[in-house]
Amino acid sequence: MTEAVIVGARSVPKRRRRRFTAAIAGQYLALVLTVALTVFPLVWLFLTSIRSSADIFSVPVHIIPETATLTQYVAVFAQYDTMGYVWNTVIVSVATVVLVHLLAIPCAYALSRFRMPGAMLIFGLLLIMRMIPVIALAIPLFAVFAAMGLLDTIWALILSHTAAKLPVAIWLLLGFIQDVPKEIEEAAQSDGAGTVRTLVQIVAPLIAPGIGASAVITFLFTWNDLLLALTLTSSKAAQTLPVGLTNFVSQYGIDWGAMSAAGVLMVIPTLVFVWFAQGLLVKGLTTGAVRG
Amino acid sequence: MSMAPIAQAPVTGRRRRSPLPYTWQRGYLLASPALLVMLAILIYPLGYSFIMSFFRWDLSGSAPFIGTGNYTDELLGRQFNQALRNQTIFSVVSITIEVVAGMAIAVLVNGKLRGMRLARTLLLVPPMIAPAVVGLNFRWLFNTQYGLVDALLRIFNLPDIPWLTHPAWALISVIVADVWQNTPLMVLLFLAGLQSLPQEPLEAATVDGATPWQRFWHIVLPLMRPVIMIALMLRIIDTFRTFDVVWLMTQGGPGGATNLLTVYSYLLAFQAVDFGHAAAVSYIALGMSLFVLGLLYGVPWLIAKRRAI
Repeated sequence: MTEAVIVGARSVPKRRRRRFTAAIAGQYLALVLTVALTVFPLVWLFLTSIRSSADIFSVPVHIIPETATLTQYVAVFAQYDTMGYVWNTVIVSVATVVLVHLLAIPCAYALSRFRMPGAMLIFGLLLIMRMIPVIALAIPLFAVFAAMGLLDTIWALILSHTAAKLPVAIWLLLGFIQDVPKEIEEAAQSDGAGTVRTLVQIVAPLIAPGIGASAVITFLFTWNDLLLALTLTSSKAAQTLPVGLTNFVSQYGIDWGAMSAAGVLMVIPTLVFVWFAQGLLVKGLTTGAVRG
Repeated sequence: MSMAPIAQAPVTGRRRRSPLPYTWQRGYLLASPALLVMLAILIYPLGYSFIMSFFRWDLSGSAPFIGTGNYTDELLGRQFNQALRNQTIFSVVSITIEVVAGMAIAVLVNGKLRGMRLARTLLLVPPMIAPAVVGLNFRWLFNTQYGLVDALLRIFNLPDIPWLTHPAWALISVIVADVWQNTPLMVLLFLAGLQSLPQEPLEAATVDGATPWQRFWHIVLPLMRPVIMIALMLRIIDTFRTFDVVWLMTQGGPGGATNLLTVYSYLLAFQAVDFGHAAAVSYIALGMSLFVLGLLYGVPWLIAKRRAI
């Protein structure tokens, strides 16, 4: 942690050392309480997932698990065949991220650089699209995909997520492209590079952090989605992990242990991105900011 | 949010250099794949369901035009009004708690504390995990027999609370889950805002002998207004589309006590197979969130205009 460096750089030597006062103690107390409340429910989910079924249904509740066991995780895969859900979720999320960016990068580039008539209308539509309740989209998509025979396929999910995530991605990328100095592109073009080459070889590398940020956001919101998957799929052929969670409730009664284990699996990508790509995530959240 | 000026007016005079590439035809060529996809999979379906919300639309084949029938049915109906009431309570209470608690926490922990970096990382987790998992987890925590919360209450000899089976408590439970998931995002947003505040006015106020509360109320809060507006906008848009948490916790029950507008609309479409009413409800939800956002931005604007005159 580079705290020391930052503190050293910021606090000009007015006071030599901050005294540990009651005020600071209060600050730490607030911080610790906030973090504890934030983390505890997730820790509890994890603890439930490593308990034996007998331990889960014990009264009174044991705070600390009697033994740590992986039986719930084994059950998730062996008994409930969760691997299919996992694969579907991975395929849908990755395909969506790829498609969204193949479409969004040229579109954002065009909108920020080319003086297109009707651009204001497009911006307005992008803004409104970000506010649409997903259910308003899910209802007609169900009818449309039913007519096309695409219901209960991975394609229905990939197509609808791609369209639904495009407005946010375009909006996010716009901000980054506008920060690229135009002179660089003009230099490339006077050297004979065409529009596509300028975009691929000059602009895209320069906005790599922006692409990373929108990719992470798109991936996680697709990975986390329940409503579209619940609406557009009905069998294990295309159902994703969040829908799998609801199936634990309805089909088998509630198997809390296995369900918690599946929940922990669902959270893993978030944890990975938060830990390793925190900067990108924060950038994506503060620039693109709306769930889609 | 970077609603940066769009396509800033280019530095004129240098335009002759690039007459070929930046033509609007090329622009549309580049943008067209994305625009077509959005047209086909976003705008067309939305338009379709908006039109169909004026028909009796139940997938049975015949769909007679019934004007505003779906809308009047719903607006006068008992279940819709219950959902509307739940939605209002849910949105107002959870947004208020999230913004006020988020601001309080941000102000309290704003400073050079050790472990702040780690704390920030951890605070980022709840807003980014699947709401479905949050719903599932709180359903488990609030389980009356084996859940942790009631177990803790028992330690203090307090009576069990029927979290998910009693109508009023169920709505509270859903709000608790939403608050848990989204307050950390508010804290992070407000912390970022606090750290980019100009220091001079605060120092000047301190010199003039202002109490911490006066500094917060008269200086910090007004300066933070843009950030607070963004936070409110995000939460308003989001609460009007909340579905996953509720679906995993209560499926709208007991007896519709946790039906939010989106949940109610889903139930209409996919349990009652009444797409016309469902579409009408989803558009009422959209209209309401647009209306609230309009108030949020319009009222301060009107007041400012009044003052200017």
